[in-house]
Amino acid sequence: MTTLIEGCDEIVKDFLVESYENLDQLDQDLVALEQDPGNREILASVFRTIHTIKGTCGFLDFGKLEKVAHVGENLLSKLRDGELELDANRTSALLTMIDAIRSMLSHIEDDGSEGDADYGNLIDLLTNLQQTGSGPEAAGTAPGRAPDRDVEDVAQDAKRSAETAQAGGDGTLGSAETTTTTAQAADTPQDSAKQTKDTVQAADTPQDSAKKTMATAQAAETSGTVLSPAPSPTASSLTESTIRVDVDHLDRLMNLVGELVLARNQILQFTSKEEDAAFVATSQHLNMITTELQEGVMKTRMQPIGNVWNKLPRVVRDLARSCGKDVKIIMEGKETELDKTIIEAIRDPLTHLVRNSVDHGIEIPEERQALGKAHEGTLLLRAFHEGGQVNIEITDDGGGISTEVLKKKALERSIITTEQAARMSERELLNLIFAPGFSTAKKVTKVSGRGVGMDVVRTNIEKIGGSIDLQSKEGSGTTIRIKIPLTLAIIPALIVTDSGDRFAIPQVNLLELVRLEAEQIETSIEDINGSPVYRLRGNLLPLVFLNKELKMQAAESSAAGSSAVSIVVLQADEQQFGLIVDEINDTEEIVVKPLGTQIKDLDTFAGATIMGDGKIALILDVMGLAQRAGIIGELSSHGIGEHKEQASTGSDQRRTLLVFSIGDDRRMAIPLDLVARLEEFPISSVEVAGDREVVQYRGEIMPLVRLSRFFNTNPDETEQLQVVVYSHMSRSIGFVVEEIIDIVEERITVTIDPDEQMGLDGAAVVQEKVTDLLDVDAVVGAAAPEALEPAATAEAEA
Amino acid sequence: MHALVIDDSRAVRRILRGFLVDLGYEVVEAGDGEEALRELKLSTTPVDVALVDWNMPKMSGLEFVKAVRANAQWDRLVLMMVTTETEIEKVAAALDAGANEYVMKPFTKDIIREKLELLTSSPV
Repeated sequence: MTTLIEGCDEIVKDFLVESYENLDQLDQDLVALEQDPGNREILASVFRTIHTIKGTCGFLDFGKLEKVAHVGENLLSKLRDGELELDANRTSALLTMIDAIRSMLSHIEDDGSEGDADYGNLIDLLTNLQQTGSGPEAAGTAPGRAPDRDVEDVAQDAKRSAETAQAGGDGTLGSAETTTTTAQAADTPQDSAKQTKDTVQAADTPQDSAKKTMATAQAAETSGTVLSPAPSPTASSLTESTIRVDVDHLDRLMNLVGELVLARNQILQFTSKEEDAAFVATSQHLNMITTELQEGVMKTRMQPIGNVWNKLPRVVRDLARSCGKDVKIIMEGKETELDKTIIEAIRDPLTHLVRNSVDHGIEIPEERQALGKAHEGTLLLRAFHEGGQVNIEITDDGGGISTEVLKKKALERSIITTEQAARMSERELLNLIFAPGFSTAKKVTKVSGRGVGMDVVRTNIEKIGGSIDLQSKEGSGTTIRIKIPLTLAIIPALIVTDSGDRFAIPQVNLLELVRLEAEQIETSIEDINGSPVYRLRGNLLPLVFLNKELKMQAAESSAAGSSAVSIVVLQADEQQFGLIVDEINDTEEIVVKPLGTQIKDLDTFAGATIMGDGKIALILDVMGLAQRAGIIGELSSHGIGEHKEQASTGSDQRRTLLVFSIGDDRRMAIPLDLVARLEEFPISSVEVAGDREVVQYRGEIMPLVRLSRFFNTNPDETEQLQVVVYSHMSRSIGFVVEEIIDIVEERITVTIDPDEQMGLDGAAVVQEKVTDLLDVDAVVGAAAPEALEPAATAEAEA
Repeated sequence: MHALVIDDSRAVRRILRGFLVDLGYEVVEAGDGEEALRELKLSTTPVDVALVDWNMPKMSGLEFVKAVRANAQWDRLVLMMVTTETEIEKVAAALDAGANEYVMKPFTKDIIREKLELLTSSPV
């Protein structure tokens, strides 16, 4: 290379780091400028960046890069001086130029050359765009097609070469590097001038560019030292108040701090037995320092969510343009900080959701105007801390989601059954969008219909201990809310003991704790054909014995009723279940350690941790445990499980049924999701009100319907009435049955006899026996029409 | 001899520093005009020459020149504008405001040497 200077390598590295940083800012700036084309301040900053790149190129002999930057600079200088106006075409051309510059920089990073791509077209385009200056408006809109195609063609060219360059670059990204930024460092001079709730111009992003310049990152460190004789004690520029640190270092530090926390916990345990005052005081000191150190190290790994968001304006802009839409993006709370690993993990899901909102949510301008909305759609990103978690919201003011369309699609794909669909709430229907194999796009577009469904988004969010929820109002927009933990390295957990071993249960899965005294066990734990269930405030809670699932030798069988039982109520997916353990110890902050390779494939464990006494406790993976115990997919409350084997053809459906007898060996079943509770009442508690049998139940009077009388059977007389409670619109009615037989999930074929007895909904073969299906509404209507009054009127209206 | 390099680009500062060190200068750097003024005020050894980028954030090269020339204690400070072809017509304004010379990017070490020798051997 013929250069004008020596020591070129270091300078090239400096040049690359600096240029990448500036280019990232440029993406933001140009999109912002489109909203506010006359903003001289931003134009000047854009100009300066290109100007600097061009100026430096001359010294380093990067002729091609210099040429591209030069025509860009000329165009920009006219824009800045107000001779030309920035329109969509010029913005596109400038963005293409930035891509081209990036591509050349990445070539330079790889092999020192600018690459073989030819930017003749781009240079011509940029030159033309500055010559049509006589009528800035006309250039943008009137000639329409021709320049438009020009822009797109060139954009394609540039994209292709950018992609190849990227592909080359990716291989070298071995060890990730990042920059730790102090809060004030994120404030660039430009930023402070702007309003806080600004639209697009985001804070400078050293981290992002650092990622791209991984190969050159050590250069920054070197330059830090070379340039360090800081001219004044108040370091002013962003680059000099931050240093780049290898993420591996941070990970190692984090790990060591984790170990220190554990050692501290051990010492504190010893201390509690110690009486030496000096020793106790020293331990307390150690305790405090460790906590502070832990917080400090955690902080170094924190990054503002703006680092992920900053990429989005460009994504939205390009996408909106290709769909012919106008979309404005607003960001609130981009300084909200998250652990680096979590930032990385949400990058793709977030991008996907934002693309979805633009592609499927926001309507085209004509449609919006017809609906009386602003022609420009708004996409609002919000992030904020709440209860130790970070909330991220993505709101669009687009067309919203039609639950009817969702329902239809879910039925077509056998994701739900017709009866489930009828019972599902609005919110449950909306969340169908996250079911596996679901996509609402009317047509598959290249943008968001790329096979990655919302189910993948949900899986990825849940993988990091987060949750996702969707709210939508047809016609006025959609909000997606993601809740994620701040960090994954240290989590609050409940410690339990079972069969002599301790286990940690992540607090995110924990709903509540229930303790049953020995005498309560028999009455409140029910056995439905070998599956124990507990009635928790009226809902049937399936129970799982930890020692059974893990095949451990129970220290002493506590479930038999000999002693008290502890139930840990957990949430796995959509399903709640109770985990029975010997003892509940305490909640603790635990340091998550990965499992060794030999056992890391066990899906019942999420990791391990070291307890205060130095012993190891395994961390339970609640989802894995629920799957292993068969909780998920079998008793799933909405049944949004795997029902994909076969399309439903109306009567041939997979259902979860409660099977019971009503006397004379007559079997009957009702869908389990209609069952609110199973109850037992002594016959003596039945009272008569009017001509009807009632019981006092939960402070209300609940009418009873004896199915044996309704269907004329002769059940065995018992002292206890078995009652299936059905609730609708907060009113309850009890169906008295002979005996509860089982809960089954089967694919059944319903046959309907034309002469069928009143109150039946057909019959089916369940568990190889003929079973009638109870038509709940018909029975209620015939036997106790007034029982569910509010419901009856509601249905009449419907 | 002491030189002050004022440029918002780290890469450019490094290039200029390289040239100037080779020419026997002791070099200090500043990222913008405000920082440069602070440097001039705090500096214990007087700066002989300042290389000033035209286009910088906060305070432009022109504003810097005006600020320096407004202060009599820096009368002897040689100001050399560093510019590019695109900005060349604007340099006139800086020269009017009291800058001594300009140099256009990219330049060689020899060009800078010539200009500096000329300027510093025949003081203004």
